[in-house]
Amino acid sequence: MTRPRPITEEKVLETVRQNIADALRVPVEKIAPETSLVQDLGAESLDFLDINYRMEQSFGIRTARHFVIEHIEELFGEGAAVDESGRLTEKGAEVLRLRLGDHAELKAGMALEDVPALVTVGAVASAIRDILDTLPEACPQCGKSEWISQDGTHVRCGACAAPAPYATGDDLVRDWLRRVQDEKKIF
Amino acid sequence: MALRARRVAVTGLGMVTCLGRNAEETFSRACRGESGIDFIRSFDTSGLPCRIGGEVDDAWLENADLSRLGKLAKFAGRGVKMLVLAAEEAAGQARLDGIARRDRVGVALGSHGENPSVDEMRFVLSFYRGDGTWDLERLTKAGGYPYSIFFRRKPDIALAVVAARFDCRGPTSSIASACAASAQAIGEAYRYIREGKAEAMIAGGCEAALNYAGFAGFVLIKALAERYPSPQQASRPFDRKRSGFVMSEGAAALVLEELEHARARGAPLLGEVLGYGDSADAYRITDTHPQGEGAFLAMKAALEDAGLRPEDVGYINAHGTSTTQNDAVETRAIKRLFGERARSIPVSSNKSMLGHAIGAAGAIEAGLTLMGMRRSVILPTINYEFPDPKCDLDYVPNTARRLDHAIALSNSFGFGGQNACLCLGRTAD
Repeated sequence: MTRPRPITEEKVLETVRQNIADALRVPVEKIAPETSLVQDLGAESLDFLDINYRMEQSFGIRTARHFVIEHIEELFGEGAAVDESGRLTEKGAEVLRLRLGDHAELKAGMALEDVPALVTVGAVASAIRDILDTLPEACPQCGKSEWISQDGTHVRCGACAAPAPYATGDDLVRDWLRRVQDEKKIF
Repeated sequence: MALRARRVAVTGLGMVTCLGRNAEETFSRACRGESGIDFIRSFDTSGLPCRIGGEVDDAWLENADLSRLGKLAKFAGRGVKMLVLAAEEAAGQARLDGIARRDRVGVALGSHGENPSVDEMRFVLSFYRGDGTWDLERLTKAGGYPYSIFFRRKPDIALAVVAARFDCRGPTSSIASACAASAQAIGEAYRYIREGKAEAMIAGGCEAALNYAGFAGFVLIKALAERYPSPQQASRPFDRKRSGFVMSEGAAALVLEELEHARARGAPLLGEVLGYGDSADAYRITDTHPQGEGAFLAMKAALEDAGLRPEDVGYINAHGTSTTQNDAVETRAIKRLFGERARSIPVSSNKSMLGHAIGAAGAIEAGLTLMGMRRSVILPTINYEFPDPKCDLDYVPNTARRLDHAIALSNSFGFGGQNACLCLGRTAD
C-alpha cells in the first residue's frame, strides 16, 4: 500500500536544504545530500536544535528529541551502544551504520562525540521523510481520505481541516529499533 | 624598585544557598556531603524533562529581617534579597561600616536581573491588542504597569540596591557573564583594590532563575540533567553517568580589603585573593572549546597574576557542572596546565551538592574554597560512582577530606565562553 503523499519529494528536499541554510547561514547551493553538517558546514550542538526547530515549524511535525544512541541504551540496556569509556560498541556501530549509512570511521571504538560529524543532509531529510510517511490513509477525525497542502509543506484534512496526525520522531526511532532487533537480533 | 603590589585580603564572607541560610550552615552541610537538590516546588514543572533544582527555602527569606532595606525592598527581587542577606553577613563580619571613607568602598556584582513571572507577563499582555497597539486606558484603570518590575528586571539593580544599603560610594561594576559572573565580580573588585582605586569592595553575585522563564530556556537547549535515579543523585560532576547540570539559586558576597588597611583596623583575615585570570573561548555559544583553550588560559593567567607556579597549587575548586562536555574539557585543561602533577591535586565540584547557581556560583564556590583552606578541609564531589576514562583526576569522591592546603584555584566558566579563575590563598591572622 502506498502512503498518501501530499508533499512532493522535491518540496521536502528543498525545505530541508533551505532550513539548514538559514540555520547555519550558508548559501543553499553548498548543501547537497552528502554534505556533513559538522564537517562541511561547521554545525555545533545548538545548531542541531535550531535545525530541528525549523523542520518542526515548516512541516508541522515533532522531530526526535533524543539521538538514536540514547534510544538504544533505553531499550536494550545501559552499555548496549556505548561502552564505559564513551566509545561505540560493535553493536552500536552496527545500528548506526544502518541509520547513517556506511562510513569508514563508523566502527566499534569510535568516540561518541565524533558521531555527529557523520550526520549528513541526506540523513536529516530521510528522518523528516520517515515522519511525513506516517500520514495515515484516512483522517482519524472524519474518516475521509482528502489530505491537502496549500503551502506545500503543512498538511491538513481537506474535509474537516484537522492537522496531519504524524508520529513523533522519537516514536519512529523506537519503532525502527524494535524492527531492526526483530530482524537482526543484534542485542 | 618597582612598587610592591597592594595585597587583597578577604575580611567578610556570606551566602544564602539551597544548603543553608548562611556561610556556616552551607559549609557544614557540604562538609557532610549533603545535597540541596529536590523537586522544584516554585512552579509547575509537569511535562518537562527536568523537574528538579536547588531551591532556597522560602521560609528563610520570609523570616529574614530585611527591614534595613527600607524603601529599597520593592526593587529587590528574590535574588537581590538573598544577595542583601549574604552581604549583611559579610559586611557584619568585616565591620564594613567602621570604614569612614565611604568613597573608598566599592561594589562589584555578577547578576542578571529578575525574569518576569508568568503572571506579570499575562497581566501586561492582556492589554495588548495584537496589532502593535496597547489599550492604555484599560491598563491605567487596572492600576498600570508596576514600575518596580521594570527595575527588578535590570541586571544593574543589584548593584544599586547593595551600594545604597551599605553606603558604598566608591567604584562599581555590574557584570553579566552567565556562570562566570560573580567570579569575575570578585576578580574585578580585586583589581580595583590592587590598583588603588578602592580600599574595600563588596563583591559577589546572585541568581534566582528557578521560574518558568528562567528554567525553560535551559530545558530547550538540553543543558539540564534529564536522567537521574533521585533528585539528590542528579548532579554528578565527573561521573560517567552525568547527563547535564542541575539548576539552583542563591547568593554570596565577600568583603575584599587592602591587606594593610584591614590589619590596621583589626578586621578578620579570612583569606586572600592572590590572582585573577579571565579569558574568552571566542568559539561557540554553548559548546566549550574542545581543547579547553579558554579554561587553560584563565587558570594560567590567574597563576601568573599571583606570581605562582603550577606546583604551588594545593586544591582546585572546579567549575564541574555535571555536563558531559564541561567536566571532560575542564579535566583536559587542568592536565594541560599541571602536566603529570594534575593527578595528585585534589579537584572537587561543589555543584555536586549545591547544583549550579549560575551567576551566584562563582562567589559561593570562592567562599567555600576560602572556608575549606582555613579549616584544612577539602569539600567532596558527591554522587561519584562510575569513573569516566575522560575524567581521570582525584575528584575527592563522596566524602570530605582533611588536608592542609594554602593555595587554591576556583574555576568558573560561562556559556558563551567567558572564563574566570580566581587564585585564593590562606592568610594567617
